[in-house]
Amino acid sequence: MDRQLREAAPYIDDNGFTARVLQQLPAPRRPRRSLRGAILLAATLLASALAYLASDGGRFVVVAMERLSALPALWLFALAFGSGILVMTAGVIAAIAKASELKS
Amino acid sequence: MELTDADLVARVLVDDNQHAFGELVRRHQSTVRGLLRHLTRTDVALADDLSQETFLRAYKNIRSFRGEARLSTWLYRIAYNCFREDARRRKEFVGIDEEQLQAEQDPQVSDPGLKHDLMHALSLLPLHERSAVLLCCQNGLSHDEAARVLDIPLGTVKTNVLRGRKKLKRTLAAWGPD
Repeated sequence: MDRQLREAAPYIDDNGFTARVLQQLPAPRRPRRSLRGAILLAATLLASALAYLASDGGRFVVVAMERLSALPALWLFALAFGSGILVMTAGVIAAIAKASELKS
Repeated sequence: MELTDADLVARVLVDDNQHAFGELVRRHQSTVRGLLRHLTRTDVALADDLSQETFLRAYKNIRSFRGEARLSTWLYRIAYNCFREDARRRKEFVGIDEEQLQAEQDPQVSDPGLKHDLMHALSLLPLHERSAVLLCCQNGLSHDEAARVLDIPLGTVKTNVLRGRKKLKRTLAAWGPD
């Protein structure tokens, strides 16, 4: 009986039904992501310019590079490895948080 | 790789992606329209209007879809609510229409072909049995899922399915024991 019922149910062709539904949907929300991105970029550029001016033309970067180059190779490797692990952990945490947000 | 319903729902939620919602409509329109055609006793125009209303409500309330049930089950529930509200507006919502069932069980009006007769027999069932049989036997929902769609106790669904199937078998007895 169940099989016969399933077989007896014909597939109904779309025939423009989906298009009619989509026409009646409310206008999609305007994406604000681009605006948010532009604000973040502008803030970063402004902060960078201020830091550059306040640090005697970025003198601290040169000093930091000199210190780094003076470090032993093992220390440099450990620093790079640690930084990589830190960034990867932050990425994984962000991905898990996003996934649980989508699930909920 | 084809996107799952959950993927498409996520795109609608995150990006308000109407193309993704269109794909969901394309996937489920046949079963939703089919269910409503049976509930409205093959009033195709009314069934399609209610189907459109179903998908519009689904779009507006998609944030309330938690993903605990299948999307189709959630859509059936919306469709059934649309049908019930419309029927109440029309004051045609009746629980048991046994008299009509008896009146229409005239063997002379039965059409040739088992499928046609089966659909006809189905349309003769009272609404509560028809809904339960459609959801459980035709659309493959579990009794539990059907109970959630119809918003009635699990035991009532089981009883309605059992009675509906018995009536269908009785009506289609001429076609043999299967």
